[in-house]
Amino acid sequence: MTTAAPAVHGPTRIPGVLGALTSTDHKRIGLNLGLLSLVFFLVGGLFALLMRAQIAQPDVQFVSDQTYSQLFTMHGSTMIYLFVTPMALAMALYLVPLQIGAVSLAGPRLALIGFWIWLSGGLVMQSGWLTGDGAGRDGWFAYEPLANGTNTPGVGQDMWVIGVMLAALGMTAMAACVAATIARRRAPGMALLRMPVFTWTALVSVLMVVASFPVLILAMSLMYIDRHGGHIFSGFNGAIDYQDLFWFFGHPVVYVMFFPYLGAAAEVVAVCSHKRWFGHTAFVASIMAFAALSMSVWAHHMFTTGGVTNQYFAFTSTALVVPAGIEYFDMVGTMVGGSIVLRTSMLFALMFFIQFLIGGLSGIFLASPVLDYHVEDSYVVIAHFHYTLFAGSVFGFFAGVYHWFPKVTGAHLRDSWGRIHLVLLAVGTNLTFFPMFFLGQDGMPRRISRYPAHPGWGTLNLLESIGAGIIALGVLSFLVNVVVSLRRRQPAGDDPWQGHTLEWATSSPPPAYNFELPLPPIRSYAPLLDRRHEQLDRAGASP
Amino acid sequence: MVQVGLLAPPGALVDTRHEYDHLFSIYVPIAVAVFALVVLAIGFAVLRYSRRAPSQAARWHEHNRLEGGYALALALVVVFLLYLTFSAEHRVDTVAAHERPALTVDVTGAKWEWQFYYPAYGITARSGTVGRQPLVVPVGEAIRFNVSTIDVIHAFWIPQLRYKRDLIPGTTESATLLFDRAGSFPGQCAEFCGLRHADMVFTVRAVNPAQFAAWARAGGKGVPS
Ligand SMILES: [Cu+2]
Ligand SMILES: [Cu+2]
Repeated sequence: MTTAAPAVHGPTRIPGVLGALTSTDHKRIGLNLGLLSLVFFLVGGLFALLMRAQIAQPDVQFVSDQTYSQLFTMHGSTMIYLFVTPMALAMALYLVPLQIGAVSLAGPRLALIGFWIWLSGGLVMQSGWLTGDGAGRDGWFAYEPLANGTNTPGVGQDMWVIGVMLAALGMTAMAACVAATIARRRAPGMALLRMPVFTWTALVSVLMVVASFPVLILAMSLMYIDRHGGHIFSGFNGAIDYQDLFWFFGHPVVYVMFFPYLGAAAEVVAVCSHKRWFGHTAFVASIMAFAALSMSVWAHHMFTTGGVTNQYFAFTSTALVVPAGIEYFDMVGTMVGGSIVLRTSMLFALMFFIQFLIGGLSGIFLASPVLDYHVEDSYVVIAHFHYTLFAGSVFGFFAGVYHWFPKVTGAHLRDSWGRIHLVLLAVGTNLTFFPMFFLGQDGMPRRISRYPAHPGWGTLNLLESIGAGIIALGVLSFLVNVVVSLRRRQPAGDDPWQGHTLEWATSSPPPAYNFELPLPPIRSYAPLLDRRHEQLDRAGASP
Repeated sequence: MVQVGLLAPPGALVDTRHEYDHLFSIYVPIAVAVFALVVLAIGFAVLRYSRRAPSQAARWHEHNRLEGGYALALALVVVFLLYLTFSAEHRVDTVAAHERPALTVDVTGAKWEWQFYYPAYGITARSGTVGRQPLVVPVGEAIRFNVSTIDVIHAFWIPQLRYKRDLIPGTTESATLLFDRAGSFPGQCAEFCGLRHADMVFTVRAVNPAQFAAWARAGGKGVPS
């Protein structure tokens, strides 16, 4: 049985920018969120370049200490609250309804208001730069009591608190809509275990958002009260209480910033191998376990406080090896026996898996309290999470961009620019982040604006700063690629890659209610591949 | 300096640097091997399966028994790593805490200075934005550091000992450390604590016990070389 999507009149159309910004079409909301996240990515990247300029060499003062603390705070906050997390949600908002054969999002107005709340949060946070004492300056996790009104007075830090609160609230609303869509809007035949890999990764992510972001909103509310004479965190154990609240959000968000990009890279590997994702059931089980564990590892950020049960959190954190190992096994299993095409998207996806592995393996070290006692708050940690978030997630994001750009715009991105983009980004990333392992091991703490000329530190830091410049060139080449590809369009057609999932069964870009033609029968998590196999078999049976 | 080995029978006291290096030396080869294995597997798959027609692609896509066995193997690796980690942590956290210290130093952090108080001798040394008096300690002895803060969170980090401890408002935590050789050990606040966090540094000067005793008798005047 196939289902016909309702070919009714589209939503009420308001022309122009206002229309685009108020549309309740999930594709429009997803695109707007994605585009604005990308703008924040450029802003956060600029902060990083300024930081790298300050610490390129020992004992120089390019920006003041005060400015430097704002730069690292706003770099981290912008990247986490305003780029990697919302971009993951943007991809989910755009793709999930298409992948499950839904004509629209559940709760589209809630998603739209969520988008606006998130954007206001971003603007409030960034507006801190315009205040007298500047933007937030206590780091992206703003520990108490440093962040209270006595130690960090000023409107800029208040705006940071409110900005984070709003961004989290908006993202929670959007995530809830994605979860509800998966629960209620799947096409007939789309059983849970027939949902594509990306949709599954999006589902566990939005569930983690819904479960953990409210705790961040709470922590920020309490912090706001605390900053204005409430003395919430000044009592016994208050500093530890804040950290428990914050990291109860702060670790799960790490996986929200990972899973959808893992899902994107997985879809790319499967499609570019002409073989469906290997071990789908085991994969689904493993990411559920992954998500459950990741809600119970938060205090591995607190091993050096003496205020938590280190062994328990070392156990849960090290146990993440098992589901992570399954993911890699499934990725290799997908390629083996396939027919691999090394498209730009595939190269990005493979780089995602290889580079993320460095982040993941270094994470096992950090899960060991004895090793963490040394490297916590050092550049080893910076190297570790940039290998997961930048070398990992951002590469997965670009794999997804090269893969789905034709679906979203109807035009291909240029492969030539794509390869330049990949090489620059890969070289820059490793040049920037690998030396940090050595610096951290050698005793360089994070968040210092100046450092003495220890042997080797100047050289390694200079290399890192050069690497950051190369990353910037890589991002620039991506922007050039987008502009060139949209100016002189190479039409892609509806299904340029022989896709496996339902978003490739509609036009590019998809129409207002997603599907104008009847959906193909859904008998597995790769319905279009099933159809192709049937055609092949029929052609083979009667040549 | 030369008497270190005589003064401290090796193995008697917990040595954080040794514990770290031992654990690290087991974790690193495992990580490198896993990385190499995955890269080789990806490289092999790409080389072997990239020049085939799409219609030649295999259709098998599941092997739950294989994955179950694989997950079990991974779980065993986890158990192995946790065994190593827990036994190292037992020594660093529990065994060391039961050692009888030869010296106790009260370490107090404040924006942006360290205060090292020697209760047995009534000596106070300060380092950070206020100056650079070293933290003088004897080599080869267990030293108990009671760390606390009067304002925000700081962290007492001696990179060469591979150890740090956070200074949490409202509590006093302790750490028992051993300096296994004479010389200078740089130290630094590792938790961002505001504007001049970068200047919250100190130097540990580890000297032989006789020199330390002389230094302490002189009321902490002068820096033994
Ligand atoms: Cu974590
Ligand atoms: Cu400090």
